[in-house]
Amino acid sequence: MSYVKNWFKDFWNTFVREFIDIFSDGGVLIIFFVAGFGYPLLYNLVYKNGVLNDTPIAIVDNADCALSHRFIRELDATREVSVQANCINMEEAKKLMQERKVKGIVYIPSDFDDNAARLETARLSVYTDMGSFIYYKNLLTAANSVMLAEMNRIGVERYCAQGLTIQQARQLVQPVKYESNNPYNQTNSYSIFLISAILLVIVQQTMFYGMSLLTGTRREQFKGVGLLNKDMSGYGVGRVVLGRAAAYWFVYLGIAMYIAFIVPAIFDIPQRGSFWDILVLLAFYLTATVTFCLTWSSLITKRETVFVLLLFISPIALFLTGFSWPTSAFPKFWKLFSYAFPSTFGVQAYINLNTAGGDLSTVTFQIVALTIQSICYYFLACIAMYIENIYMLKKASFLRKREALARKIGFSIEQNRRIIGGEDAAKEYIDQLK
Amino acid sequence: MFSQRQYIWKVLVRELGIWAHRPIYVIGSLVTMIMCTVFYLTFLGQGVPSDLPIGVVDLDNSSVSRTFSSQLDATQAGKVIHFETFSEARDAMQKGNITGFCVLPSGLNADIQAQRQPTITFYTNGLYFLGGTLAYKDLLTMSNLTSGAVHRQVLRMKGLDDATIMNLLRPVDVDIHMIGNSTMDYGAYLSTTLLPGMLEMVIIILIIYSFGAELKYGTSRHLLRTAGGKMRNAIAGKVLMYTLYFTAIGLALEIILYDWMGFPLAGSIWNMFLDVFLLVISSEAVGIFIIGLFPVTRFALSIGALFSILSISLSGFTLPIETAPPYIQGLSWIVPIRHYYLFAVQEAIFGSGFAGWYQEIIHMLLFLFLPYTVHTRLKKAYIYQNYPKN
Repeated sequence: MSYVKNWFKDFWNTFVREFIDIFSDGGVLIIFFVAGFGYPLLYNLVYKNGVLNDTPIAIVDNADCALSHRFIRELDATREVSVQANCINMEEAKKLMQERKVKGIVYIPSDFDDNAARLETARLSVYTDMGSFIYYKNLLTAANSVMLAEMNRIGVERYCAQGLTIQQARQLVQPVKYESNNPYNQTNSYSIFLISAILLVIVQQTMFYGMSLLTGTRREQFKGVGLLNKDMSGYGVGRVVLGRAAAYWFVYLGIAMYIAFIVPAIFDIPQRGSFWDILVLLAFYLTATVTFCLTWSSLITKRETVFVLLLFISPIALFLTGFSWPTSAFPKFWKLFSYAFPSTFGVQAYINLNTAGGDLSTVTFQIVALTIQSICYYFLACIAMYIENIYMLKKASFLRKREALARKIGFSIEQNRRIIGGEDAAKEYIDQLK
Repeated sequence: MFSQRQYIWKVLVRELGIWAHRPIYVIGSLVTMIMCTVFYLTFLGQGVPSDLPIGVVDLDNSSVSRTFSSQLDATQAGKVIHFETFSEARDAMQKGNITGFCVLPSGLNADIQAQRQPTITFYTNGLYFLGGTLAYKDLLTMSNLTSGAVHRQVLRMKGLDDATIMNLLRPVDVDIHMIGNSTMDYGAYLSTTLLPGMLEMVIIILIIYSFGAELKYGTSRHLLRTAGGKMRNAIAGKVLMYTLYFTAIGLALEIILYDWMGFPLAGSIWNMFLDVFLLVISSEAVGIFIIGLFPVTRFALSIGALFSILSISLSGFTLPIETAPPYIQGLSWIVPIRHYYLFAVQEAIFGSGFAGWYQEIIHMLLFLFLPYTVHTRLKKAYIYQNYPKN
């Protein structure tokens, strides 16, 4: 009985202390609340109109015939491109493209009409600016859809001229029809695709940077990240880790709910999933994220260093979710590496639930993965804290041993401290040795 | 008394001393850049993703439908996974296991023979942009090929020769020429802007840290003494060293991208060297500006982190910036990597030379005015050390 009571007392004390620390550190608050709340809004503003319409193109029409005119009209009428310039020759069009006034050129050679009249293939060329793949995608889509429509139309005209009825000609030209659907992102909007992926990455990364800041601060003040009561001497690691985790978990439940439910609503990102399903996912995701952050933040020794050393991880974590480069094409090593991040599974599950409108059964794999991560990282965090406690208890003797070693090879740590941190740091160092 | 040049030299030597004693500087710059380069170049190393899982629900099970599946499987982009029912396939797509699927209706073959124009339906997952687009392209091509094959067979029966048939099948054809990236290499496209973007991030963060650490550890007065009491010399000494160091990293990066990896470059690599040098100095100016504006290391680092992560989006190399609202378009001007990207498009894609990118030189040089605006503020902070250290 007293063990259970003690356990809860320690857990509660750690929880409260961590909670107070979070809310009394301005830097942590900025990252958790200002960045956590502001970043999703900023990203949404940047990607607010996720669709590029009417990409400007130039036309070089050397054929100047009814067919080429119709082709150009139909191109101009597509959502994707808009004819901005009619050029006399390629030189003029190329110049416009280089000045980036147009992002593509449609070149219709002079034999276009003749070829069509001779019942041969009439060819035209499209040039696109690869500065952004979206330009290419727009031109390709527009040119392809106009080409397919024209192919059928001309084909039908030709067979009709040979005496077939329109119905017969259509059946001959297009024996199989097709119908395409893009159910989850009908306009192929860039924002729906990007924002759905980025939201939960923001949850993980802001938590990681904030927690590391707090860890670094405590280390600078020569306190351990989660000191145990003196009398527990090591075997109470589990409850302390749980206590700290719970504090972050509850703080972040609010932030994550804002990011997962309110932000998409503000910016008209589809919300097709059920509220409770996503809440269940968030609970698992936050558990994995908190333990992940507890483990890795234990490597941070100074307050600011996390930004200098680990900021570059954020875009990498985003790529590892497979939102852009498909998971099936990941090199093996990076695929394994991606399993280390809760965001990999969290983002995939969130996309499936929220944007593709699946239910919990579609994310079983990810939930299981997040649970495994939580368990692994929990034990890793415990080990890290256990090692730190031993280190803190025997710090002075460790430092003395290091000093002796440094002297042996003719290297003065004290002198180093003086150069980097001034007189105070050197004095502090000497105090620690005692 | 020393000359100004000697003071600058002394600051530089002092900075080298700090670097030698604190590994964070090298880890935060060179090691970070190496890790990023290795990551993006190996991660996207394939250039174009291949063997994307695409589902086929074959309800017909005829020679036509089986040919369709096997040809789809044979394309470079696709790898066919068979499903029994529509709902199984939809489930797999919702789980993100396949990027798209198509339904071959029952009676497909019979309907084709009877000229009843059956419909093949396909579904793509637009939540995975690249995968979804490639799956769409593959499925579209396959449906048209199927139509074409039937059409051809009919014409052959009529006794036409193959050349005439080809002309009848394709009355119009479009060749697409991709200027500046003819293989649609996704790796080249992303890493040629992302990696310089990471360089910008590293520079801004490290500059802020370097100037901020003097405040945090209370060594700022020592720095000023070394610089002969002149903030100008202190900044010049530090910046000189960082410029040399980061320019070396930048040049190495350009060589890796355009020479070693052989990513498409229409112009000259020397001009790209100029571009990356301008990126280095303009990013340094942004870093000094941020720490001068907020002489609290931790706060300035948070701002720098926010700025540099967002600048990758604002460069507009993925989603063109013209889609953003006007105030965001304006914001993109204060991001060095945006100008680097515009310069690189001119040089690497069009090879247009000076006439194409001289404006970007001016834009990036304008950043150099930024440090002057915070010069006095930073000097005061260095002397009085009156800002919170954490």
